[in-house]
Amino acid sequence: MATIEQKGMYRTFPRSGKDVSFTHYCPGCGHGIINKLIAEACAELGLQDRTIFVDPVGCGVFTYYYWDAAHISAAHGRASAAATGACRARPDAVTIAYQGDGDLGAIGFNNAFQAASRGERFGCIFVNNSLYGMTGGQMAPTTLDGETTTTTPFGRDPALTGHPLHVCEVFSQLKAPVYIARVSVADTRRIMQAKQAIRKVFEIERDGRGYALLEILAPCPTNFKMSPDKAAAFCMNEMEKEFPLGVFRDETREPLAVRPVPRAASCRELFAEKDAVPAAADDPAFPERRFKFAGYGGQGILSLGLCIAEAARLERRHTLWFPSYGPEQRGGSANCSVVVSGTPIGSPTVEHPDVLVCMNRPAYERFVGDVKKGGTVVVDETVPVEVQPPEGVSLVRWPAIRMAEEFGVPKAANTMMLAALKKFKLTGLSDASLEEALVASFRKKPELGEKNRELLRRAESGARS
Amino acid sequence: MVIVDKDNCKGCGRCVAACPKKCLEIGEELNSMGIKSVKYKGEGCVSCGICFYNCPEPYALRIEK
Repeated sequence: MATIEQKGMYRTFPRSGKDVSFTHYCPGCGHGIINKLIAEACAELGLQDRTIFVDPVGCGVFTYYYWDAAHISAAHGRASAAATGACRARPDAVTIAYQGDGDLGAIGFNNAFQAASRGERFGCIFVNNSLYGMTGGQMAPTTLDGETTTTTPFGRDPALTGHPLHVCEVFSQLKAPVYIARVSVADTRRIMQAKQAIRKVFEIERDGRGYALLEILAPCPTNFKMSPDKAAAFCMNEMEKEFPLGVFRDETREPLAVRPVPRAASCRELFAEKDAVPAAADDPAFPERRFKFAGYGGQGILSLGLCIAEAARLERRHTLWFPSYGPEQRGGSANCSVVVSGTPIGSPTVEHPDVLVCMNRPAYERFVGDVKKGGTVVVDETVPVEVQPPEGVSLVRWPAIRMAEEFGVPKAANTMMLAALKKFKLTGLSDASLEEALVASFRKKPELGEKNRELLRRAESGARS
Repeated sequence: MVIVDKDNCKGCGRCVAACPKKCLEIGEELNSMGIKSVKYKGEGCVSCGICFYNCPEPYALRIEK
């Protein structure tokens, strides 16, 4: 016995803690009709096990209760962004974003538009009912000129709020989409056309052809403040004047062209080096050390922190380097935090350092009070010490800037500071690793690497402690 | 023939308007949601399925041929 019945949906919907088999949609809602067509197309094409639906915020939010396939719920307007991630992570999946006109047309427009421009491999089913439904019938970008909504009680005035946004027409300016169409679910003929178009979107995504946009005009009897039949008539008689139905682009008649899956470089590729060091090894016996380096931008503060982190990496310690600086390339204040640990590190920020290195007065006065008891502050000797470190914190005044000038390399003050850290054994890292990291930091200018190694050794032996 | 599950019907009347044979109507009886739901007049259905596709609810109507 042949039957016509719902396919592709769960039999019951566990909303509000109880199983029901009716939707949350208002009587006569276009979403309900569209939801049924989508579930049917997905099931009839045998794609339920391959489909990822990206659900919107808006009246369509509960589709995960209905469609029997995988779901991701996106933040308001972000369904196309989430779908981009989904289709890139799972190029074998059929990814379908379901969005409304408030969601896609307003806050999420750029997300959707850029995804279409990139030709992402997902289908966007865009329900246009000319207003924000779920929030109470406010004006949306798609509201018709003169249409009454709760925020346009005298009708939409184009002089005040502009004209309706034609999403299909705008997206048709883009090169990448393979299919763009507008259909409606206002009457039987239109529903059958919508059914075919929805099926087509699934086929496009099944075959990996690229981006498809299907706009569906839908009645919202509740917010139109009309009976379901009058709301459907409004869709046909008023909305279609502004939003004509039709196919704006259909490249699916072309020979099957599978859109290449975008290939992003992996972290392994990006960070692979000839001298690649194996990943950090756990060593709970190694005491965690937290460092803060601070000074003016241009004093090599960030590089000095990076050098410590690199030395830690060479020793297969867990390490994080975290810079903080203003918009200036030179002269602004800059600092960085470095954590070196024997176990994985939770946060890269350092509020209470074991070792604080300061190249100037503002940095010293800002951070000296934060140093942990038992810790050490290394400060350039040019910095006047009017503020004393907290009790139990040792202070080293070190002539980094003067030595760098005496050696004729004023820019090497940070290397001079490294000499202090090395000399006083403040890093917990070996001398060899510190030197290797210093040389490695000049790998683009190898002659400077060896020069700095020499400066480092001279500073260590020459300076008074 | 159309089969109505009246407890899943919200009485919107879209099927009534769409039925080419005019064999559906909104009944007087209230369903479990307190709604006057659709009912089959008892004759005329040709099992075309138009009511099913016009209905926003997945399980209010089905056609058994």
